[in-house]
Amino acid sequence: MNILVCIKQVPNTQAIAIDPKTNTLIREGVESILNPFDGYALEAAARLQDEHPEVRIYTLSMGPPQAEAVLRESLAIAADTAYLISDPLFGGSDTLATSYILSQGIQRICELEGISFAMIFCGKQAIDGDTAQVGPQIAERLDLPQVTCGLTCELVESALKVIRETDQGREIVLTPLPCLVTFTKPSFEPRFATARRRIASRKAEITRLGCDDLPGIDRSRVGLTGSPTRVLKTYVPQIGKDGIILSDFPLEEATRQLASFLREKALPSGSNQAQPMGTKEGDER
Amino acid sequence: MSSTSGDLWVFIETSAEGEPANVGLELLNPGRSLCDELGCQLVAVVIAANPTSAVRAAREHGADLVICIEDEAYRRYTAESYTSALSHLISKYKPATLLIGASALGRDLAPRLSSRLQTGLTADCTMLGIDPLSGAISWTRPAFGGNLMAVITCPDHRPQIGTVRPGVFSRRAVSDHQAAIITESYLIPPETVRTQVLEVIAEVSEKVDLESAEIIVSGGRGLGNAKGFDLIRELADCLGGTVGASRGAVDAGWIPHAHQVGQTGKSVAPKLYIACGISGAAQHLAGMSSAETIIAINKDPEARIFAVADFGIVGDLFEAIPLLIGSLKNEGFSSFHGE
Amino acid sequence: MAYNRVTPEIAAQLAAIAPGRVKTGEEISPDYCRDEMPIYGTGLPELSIDVLSTEEVSAVMRICHQNNIPVTTRGAGTGLVGGCVPIQGGIVLCTARMDKIISFDEEQFGVVTQPGVLLETLKAEALKRGLMYPPDPGQKLATIGGNVSTNAGGMRAIKYGTTKDYVRGMTVVLADGEVLRLGANVAKTSMGYNLTQLLTGSEGTLGIITELVLKLIKAPKLEISLMAAFADLETALQAVPKVFMSSFRPTALEFFERDILILSEEYVGKVVWPREVDGQPVQAYLLMIFDGDDLDEIDPILEKMTEFMLEAGAMDVFIADTATKINDIWTARSAFLDCIMDSYKLYDENDVVVPINRISEFVSFFTTEAGQYDFEVRYLGHAGDGNLHIFGVSNEMDEETFKEQIHHWMTSMYCMALQMGGELTGEHGIGHGKIPYFAEYVGEGVMQIHKAIKLAFDPKLILNPGKVC
Repeated sequence: MNILVCIKQVPNTQAIAIDPKTNTLIREGVESILNPFDGYALEAAARLQDEHPEVRIYTLSMGPPQAEAVLRESLAIAADTAYLISDPLFGGSDTLATSYILSQGIQRICELEGISFAMIFCGKQAIDGDTAQVGPQIAERLDLPQVTCGLTCELVESALKVIRETDQGREIVLTPLPCLVTFTKPSFEPRFATARRRIASRKAEITRLGCDDLPGIDRSRVGLTGSPTRVLKTYVPQIGKDGIILSDFPLEEATRQLASFLREKALPSGSNQAQPMGTKEGDER
Repeated sequence: MSSTSGDLWVFIETSAEGEPANVGLELLNPGRSLCDELGCQLVAVVIAANPTSAVRAAREHGADLVICIEDEAYRRYTAESYTSALSHLISKYKPATLLIGASALGRDLAPRLSSRLQTGLTADCTMLGIDPLSGAISWTRPAFGGNLMAVITCPDHRPQIGTVRPGVFSRRAVSDHQAAIITESYLIPPETVRTQVLEVIAEVSEKVDLESAEIIVSGGRGLGNAKGFDLIRELADCLGGTVGASRGAVDAGWIPHAHQVGQTGKSVAPKLYIACGISGAAQHLAGMSSAETIIAINKDPEARIFAVADFGIVGDLFEAIPLLIGSLKNEGFSSFHGE
Repeated sequence: MAYNRVTPEIAAQLAAIAPGRVKTGEEISPDYCRDEMPIYGTGLPELSIDVLSTEEVSAVMRICHQNNIPVTTRGAGTGLVGGCVPIQGGIVLCTARMDKIISFDEEQFGVVTQPGVLLETLKAEALKRGLMYPPDPGQKLATIGGNVSTNAGGMRAIKYGTTKDYVRGMTVVLADGEVLRLGANVAKTSMGYNLTQLLTGSEGTLGIITELVLKLIKAPKLEISLMAAFADLETALQAVPKVFMSSFRPTALEFFERDILILSEEYVGKVVWPREVDGQPVQAYLLMIFDGDDLDEIDPILEKMTEFMLEAGAMDVFIADTATKINDIWTARSAFLDCIMDSYKLYDENDVVVPINRISEFVSFFTTEAGQYDFEVRYLGHAGDGNLHIFGVSNEMDEETFKEQIHHWMTSMYCMALQMGGELTGEHGIGHGKIPYFAEYVGEGVMQIHKAIKLAFDPKLILNPGKVC
């Protein structure tokens, strides 16, 4: 039984800072990491492998050559085989084009390996784009049932039982195989790489697939030209309010002032009855 | 049906009981403004086993037309059934634009739908406008953890689809409830739906309703550990507020994700937001900067949270919060709020 | 020694030196009466003063010297042996607000700083310049002045040494207000007695440090942690000396037991350490850091170390080579002390050092000894340098019994450490908490020299009285 985990190399968005002079992103020196949600997907696959040793885990990433680093990381953690889709032609792809390329790549891996995938796992979203689109878009392209926001899963006969997070809580979903599941943060942390796997992963062969290696691909549907959406512009959001900031104040005094500020200006007055948001008159914020 | 082609649609998400989710009704508000500018109809789409309540709500919130599919098969949402039903309606009526709430459901549905329709989708928008050059919708959304805003269009493919976070817009009721209703029927072959919900588990702990909270007290990495949230809960209890958290605190495992405010958590717009030990990373600001009043307590005077704060205290939160609670109690807040 | 009280006149003179920064009576912050180890008691000063400059300190000391008033200097108050507790009253002089880094010398790898700069600030500022201040005590919110005053150690001591190895010079105010400048930002000195080193670790008993010249090194670009899991602590500890016999040079080498780790992780609220390997419970861990400038340099070391650990009986060896993972595993280690303080009403600790090949023997000694008492034992340690942190903790005992039992237990440990050729304290100092054991440990001769040195610096014994000797 084979599982494919799609992973992405992303900048650590928590470490990104804004240059106050130019008001632009400082991307320099920001480390590249395995998208954390993809790490949860890999962990879910690894847990299935713990239970069912016959499971083989493949990882696939699309990105520049240096994205190999996250594939090696996946090999060190749990993956058996890794593929990288990389071609300058694919640069500038939006989610729709990306999901097209990835689904072409997935089909190609099946041909090359002479296998099929019982499950395709993805992170819920990547922390750089935060779109949460690529998983379901691949599912649609490959005509697979989808389960998003998975927390944990287990094989039940020839189906997969997934506990997923919803806005209201959780639900248990049963999906036949093959299927696609996206994963969000579970209550546990993904495992560490063992040193032995890590050493082996540094020397492992990672197969790279370019546009020419995907024979059936329609070149008009990849890259910038194959993307229905266009980025018109980007800007750094301006923040700034001239609030009262008390520094170097004895905390007793500062908190007293804050308490009166809250009483006079900030606390909803009248009663403690929270008004439903819906009745609040207001314009677009 | 040519009269409906080019319209702007808002998908009204419903619960299994047929109750409309807030976010769909919220989207009718910016939808109305866009339609007025574009000169097209605002259409609400309801797919449900029992659509009555959602249809009524859509009419009360400014829809010109409601298109509705009513069938027991749609009682519980599945990606496959809703994708099929919506794409059926879209190919029939050819709307130009579709707005979907970026709830868990919307984020499950929208990408699958866009992939089926081979069209562009912009996720988690926080502003909607019209690109003067192409006349297409300009979708503004945060990226790079909220550090960057991107303005995106979908010039050549229709419908252009966008999802919008709950809480970004407010609902606006209208007095004129005369929208016409078109009832469609679309039966999905049962084998189309392959996934099956075995069990629904309501949140084990108390439900965290950040989106409709009027007062939120949030804690961040500055709390140091899970126990630090005891202090946040105490302040929240004192004010009658709900406990929120930054991604840092959630990532550290100190509090469940349901409490997370920010781009990857909940977008909130309470009357009062108190940020304790939160530095103010862009992705956090993206989720809370529209709060009416923001209070920040942080020991780092350079923390970005102070830039959005109406009132800030530079100092140790472990000293400041107990003092604040003391002052509030002295002023009778606890009894006032019927603690 | 009879000291004088702080009269209103003296208070007024002091207030004139530091307007608005002198507090008396109930205005004095309760923090100024204690450090982080409350078991050694608190002390109530008559007056506290927050100083901002060498000149102010000098002026304060002139007045106190003249009037025979004891002065206890403190920084962030994160000590663990009562070192900054004003047990004789008098005044508390706090240098925490002298918190400016004055200059970096990036060519000579040095930094000139005021004593109130926090360790975490100094480290972060150095790192921004590609430099590293290597001493790495767990408490990053301590001031650098406090670190120098106690010769703080920390986890990276096995590769980089302790605070003393990074102190090149300092400005010191003596008991009578005289200002001395010692040392320079150069690598060598051979001028007479090394007073800079004498002041380092003197716990505020010889002079008040008001400026420091510290050595920095080029920061390594990469840091990777290895975590070896063992089925029992003894096997883990037996592997330690062998690490050094081979040519590996870990930056840090720590050991933990399962119970401590679980306690810490529960406190932090995040479970990241593997607790089982192939279904078998992990009972002990060795945690190592390796640093260097590129993977090609570190990888062969990691590979050999892994093989080495597995041969030494490790169940498995795990690796943390991303910032997130490294942070995750060290969080539990760093939280240990906070966790103890938060979980127990009564606690006392020591930081004995024993030869690294006898850690295991020492552990079994003190755990067995503790069996006759009512408190519980928690411990972990810097396996790489033999420096242990051993806590007796209790929520049930009454304080008197606890103290009495702890005293017997501590005494037995110190005797054993002495026999083994160890040290009484590796990095916390003597303060007043360890005084009852210090003289006996080092012997009369050493104490005489200590006292003579003390008198040479501070004939009226007004600097931090009741500490060290």
